[in-house]
Amino acid sequence: MKKWIPAASGLAAGFLAATVFFADFSTGPSGSATSDSANKTNAEKVYVPFGEKDEYYLFASGGHSGQMFIYGVPSMRHIRTVPVFSPDSATGYGFDNHTKELMGDYSWGDLHHPAFSETEGDYDGKYMFATDVANSRAAVMDLKTFTVKDIMKVPNTSGPHCAAFVTQNTEYMFLPTRFSVPIGSEYADLDNYSEQYHGVMSAVTFDEEKEKLDIAYQVALPPWSYDLSDAGKKMSADWAVMTTYNTEEATTNLEINASQADRDYIVLFNWKELEQKIATGEYDEVTGQKMIFPEKHKGGIYLVPVAKSPHGVDVTPDGEHFIASGKLAPAMTVFSFEKAFAAIENGEFDGERNGIPILKYESVMEREVNPENALGPLHTQFDDEGMAYTTMFISSEIVKWDPATGETLDRVPVQYSPGHSVAAEGDTVAPDGKYIIALNKIAKDSYLSVGPSHPESMQLIDLTGDKMEVIQSAPVNPEPHYAQMIKADKINTITVYDKDESNPNAIYNQEDAKIVRKGNEVHVYGIAMRSKFIFDANAKRPDVIEVNEGDKVVIHLTNIDFDQDITHGFAINQYDFNMEVQPGQTNTIEFTADKAGTYPLYCTNFCSALHQEMSGYFLVKPKN
Amino acid sequence: MKGKQLSRFSSFLMIISAILVMLALFFPWWRMEFFAPQYPEGLNIIVYPDHLEGELEQINGLNHYIGMAQFNEESFPELNYLPYLIGGLSILVLLGAFIRKKAYLISLIASFLIGGAIGVWDLWAALKEYGTNLDPMAPIEMEPFVPPIIGENVVANFTTYSLLGTGAYLVIAAFILLLIPLWKDRKQ
Repeated sequence: MKKWIPAASGLAAGFLAATVFFADFSTGPSGSATSDSANKTNAEKVYVPFGEKDEYYLFASGGHSGQMFIYGVPSMRHIRTVPVFSPDSATGYGFDNHTKELMGDYSWGDLHHPAFSETEGDYDGKYMFATDVANSRAAVMDLKTFTVKDIMKVPNTSGPHCAAFVTQNTEYMFLPTRFSVPIGSEYADLDNYSEQYHGVMSAVTFDEEKEKLDIAYQVALPPWSYDLSDAGKKMSADWAVMTTYNTEEATTNLEINASQADRDYIVLFNWKELEQKIATGEYDEVTGQKMIFPEKHKGGIYLVPVAKSPHGVDVTPDGEHFIASGKLAPAMTVFSFEKAFAAIENGEFDGERNGIPILKYESVMEREVNPENALGPLHTQFDDEGMAYTTMFISSEIVKWDPATGETLDRVPVQYSPGHSVAAEGDTVAPDGKYIIALNKIAKDSYLSVGPSHPESMQLIDLTGDKMEVIQSAPVNPEPHYAQMIKADKINTITVYDKDESNPNAIYNQEDAKIVRKGNEVHVYGIAMRSKFIFDANAKRPDVIEVNEGDKVVIHLTNIDFDQDITHGFAINQYDFNMEVQPGQTNTIEFTADKAGTYPLYCTNFCSALHQEMSGYFLVKPKN
Repeated sequence: MKGKQLSRFSSFLMIISAILVMLALFFPWWRMEFFAPQYPEGLNIIVYPDHLEGELEQINGLNHYIGMAQFNEESFPELNYLPYLIGGLSILVLLGAFIRKKAYLISLIASFLIGGAIGVWDLWAALKEYGTNLDPMAPIEMEPFVPPIIGENVVANFTTYSLLGTGAYLVIAAFILLLIPLWKDRKQ
């Protein structure tokens, strides 16, 4: 009868014990980290109050999102996402005529390595270049408006992972490829890989006046994988370096088969000499491109042996050395440009591959640096004193060391597995020091959980103290492969688009709004202003567009609110597009009215207290 | 006759006065500054004798919510002839320096006073017209108001400050320069 007493008391005791041991009665963040006084000081270092701005812009590649992420440093606040290779309904990117044309036939991209335009080896804050590993494209973004001006498809190449790096005065942006393919991406049996496949590198130029990208020439390098690269600086300004893997020329299971040879190569080339070859006609014309075949058009390109499957290769700010990060070999190798030039001069070669001479390792190598237990070195950045900072993917840390002595100076753990890192103005001839950001591939348990997969993580590290110190951590969408950090005052944005009286699609007076019919085409010249659309100033209902089913509709819309940040959007229900017009901007969208019926149209970008009222109708009369 | 002439010093002051009036042509005479939470940097209407400056398009864009008429150069025909009136006044003052007659000086002072009064009335009338003649169809209903010629006013989320510009101060200085001869040569 009283058997229930032991059972019930046992249960009660169990609950009590569980509560004592496991219950959490605290609110908010717990643990000792929040009350640590050092952390309070770090919080002050990254806090940017209203009215003040961040000191640096961070441009982080968005990887397979196809976008670029703009952050402020040191606050690590996400300021803007700029769509580059992928459509973005928020900004109408990929919907309006101009950006739809930029997108070509693609609906996504894999944005890898961003690169600022440079003047005298320093970021000039004018343009940002980026490459698409998925569909072999290059893009240029204007930093006055943070919008993409041109996208170019690069033929003969497939996956320009090794890009983009620009020369000292933005003469060229080089796009070496990750995957080798036959010329023209034609079909070729993989058994003929070594003979028929090439790792084509493109020398891309940018015409500032026309805001257009173009290919000056291409180089049919051996069928290897080209991983990362950097342009020379100062004394090495005419040169560039890039790392290779799969010099084994494996065609399957690369994880194993491309990791067999003890040494791969750094390709060292003189772009001035290649330029000269093009000028003197030393090239073959293939698929409409001027193609240099190194076996045939010899000179200007050399191979430097390096410990197997290196990832990054980075030129020191003084331009005198280049440093390869071992990835599979737990060491960084410092090479000397001066030694390389002497070795070339003296013909200190050790055979050749595909007609490209191999320089003797000992002739070029200055020092191998192997910090204890530092594993998976991927990429190196520099500070204002020329000290090197290398990310260690496997041992999950950043190691600071002196390229002149090889001495390890400091180490800081990061969470977790950094790919690249980016130092303040770190790729220039004059880095700022101050900050480095670890671009971590794994966030794991760093932030509130959002399920089995997490965002990536960027950690801001203060370089001003005796020891490197992580002072902020920010989640970021997939996936910053690389980033560049530029002093904020170098970028000069516009606040509104100027009137362009020469633009035939633009109208700046409400009274000029009109709808013009040409056969079965309807051309609308309209305006958007707080808080109305006017498509036809003389119509009974100026905010209505009426067409016949099957008509081609072209809508030119000008935002006549010349007021910073008063952006309007334009969408028609069920017509599956959104367009944006920034202050003063004229934008065009073209579509076929293939659905008869009544479709409300409205402003999609909240613009004013009467934004909800900023609407109208798109009426499509059915065919009989 | 000679004794009745104004002194050389007075003549000199009148020349300076004429120059100040001429200079005033190139400076703004009046301005209104608009501040709102969304516009901490402020928007401006700046009135020159012959044109308007400032963020007029933005101000008009915002004013349409309360049904205020468009504020632009076409709605102020004064801007077409004001420069001639001011230039003419400057020449008349300059002539006074050579005529050196007290009666002429008094008539100059009188024209300053009359001109000034008309100017103030004109500005006030314009402010009244804009502030009270609001479109009844406007989305935001608002009690009619008359912003002051000088001073602060609050309209919805905007606080406005009206103030005189450099040009107005130059003319005031020119006026004072005319009063000095009247006092100095009071014995004549």
